[in-house]
Amino acid sequence: MRFKIASVDSLIIYFGDEISADVSSKVKQAYKSIQSLDIDGLIEIIPSYSSIFITYDIFTYDYNSLKEKLQNSIDFTKDTVEDEKIITIDVYYGVDVGFDLQYMSEKKSLSIEKIIKLHSQKYYDVYAIGFLPAFAYLASVDEKIAMSRLSTPRKIIPKGSVAIADTQTAVYPQDSPGGWNIIGRTVMELFDKNLKILSPLAIGYKVKFNAISKEQYIKQGGKI
Amino acid sequence: MSLEVLNTQIFTLVQDKGRFSYGAIGVTSSGVMDEYAYLILNKLLDNPKDTNVLEISFSNNSFKVDKNTMIAITGAYCEFSINDIALSTWQTYKVKVGDVLKIGKITNGTKVYLGVKDGFDIKKEFGSNSTTLKENLGGLDGDKLKKGDLLKYREFLDEGIANKRLQSRYLPKYDDKLTLRVILSYQDDFFKQEEQDKFFSNTYTITNEFNRMGCKLKGEAIKCDRDGIISEGIAFGAIQIPQDGQPIILLKERQTIGGYPKIGSVLSIDCFKLSQCKVNTKINFVEVSLEEGQEKIREFYGSLL
Repeated sequence: MRFKIASVDSLIIYFGDEISADVSSKVKQAYKSIQSLDIDGLIEIIPSYSSIFITYDIFTYDYNSLKEKLQNSIDFTKDTVEDEKIITIDVYYGVDVGFDLQYMSEKKSLSIEKIIKLHSQKYYDVYAIGFLPAFAYLASVDEKIAMSRLSTPRKIIPKGSVAIADTQTAVYPQDSPGGWNIIGRTVMELFDKNLKILSPLAIGYKVKFNAISKEQYIKQGGKI
Repeated sequence: MSLEVLNTQIFTLVQDKGRFSYGAIGVTSSGVMDEYAYLILNKLLDNPKDTNVLEISFSNNSFKVDKNTMIAITGAYCEFSINDIALSTWQTYKVKVGDVLKIGKITNGTKVYLGVKDGFDIKKEFGSNSTTLKENLGGLDGDKLKKGDLLKYREFLDEGIANKRLQSRYLPKYDDKLTLRVILSYQDDFFKQEEQDKFFSNTYTITNEFNRMGCKLKGEAIKCDRDGIISEGIAFGAIQIPQDGQPIILLKERQTIGGYPKIGSVLSIDCFKLSQCKVNTKINFVEVSLEEGQEKIREFYGSLL
């Protein structure tokens, strides 16, 4: 753990210098540990790929006192696997909603069926959430379907689009500009005011995509 | 019964202190841009410190009073009147049914705050009334105010706090130049000494890329040893240096995480002043220690709360 000042009332803890499953799992353990400690005076806690950012009440702590408290109390020994939540997202993978499926198939010399299989068979970790509310960066996709971002981003990517950029995959929670490769679409609401924590996803959860037919997608309320 | 919006411009927003503890799923803190004007307003009205207010960013707004109450107006200096009688701001006023409040031209500063005794009766969303348009959260149905909107509040008849005015020595000045105090932080090690010196010795100018998310400056480009970093949580006031070397100061509606290197962070209390600046304002940076910065923040809130 490396501590650094972030601002007058915030600090950041680094758990490594790379994007990897190992570093991400350290972040996850530390995040859960901090949450379970229920420390007074922490205003905002934002975990990401390799770090945890914390805003604190400076009437309760100064930098050194909070650093010391966290150093002494973050526990990496607890096993977090057992309470891991798995969220399944139904996806219709088809060229009519997966604008880049055909191109990917040609570029990677893989059939569309194979791309779908590779994408939907893995369990992904939520590495970070940001860019848009509930936009979760999921990793890692099979190297065979890793694709760099489009050279020209699209002005509008429809809400629910399932996408790949390099070795990460994500679902667009709302209409948005974006440069990721689009391979399918879901009807699942990822940013939902009716949910207690606003999203079905959170850091530390696992995500599995489930391929459904066009008919099922339409039946769920999906639009082409 | 309520305050009726007779006329308003884009970006008149209901705001309060902000929405906290949802950053982990990408929800921005939002909240008033200028906490100084906001806290003074609520202090004048003897309101709880996180009471909601209206943040008004453009000239020509009018409101009709449908229930007796006490109001206060602070922030940017503007042509303000009740029933066409010109009045000064940074003061409370007793208003009664039928009164028309007008906020005409904003003459100095950019954000006017208008509030009522005990705030508007609006259900909080995820702990706050702060409006964030891109998230469709807060305010009235997640939206900016528009003509015909009704802002409900409770009647208030006590006259004890009428015509309460901020002492003139505490009135802010919104200048065409501003010095921002910076704590070196985050990736400061990725900026060579000469680049840091450049940053602290040059004058920058506020560009028109300035909104509730952040403020882009132009001036001497700052070089960073790295093009990007692994995306990480962004503090209020953090100074990003993208590849073009032009600093961006991140404000209340910033993205929660981002991948540009950051040289340091502006003191929050100086970001409040920045929020009242116009395009083309000249900006200088001066370094302060964390200890000194925290002392200043404690003084600020200690005197206001």
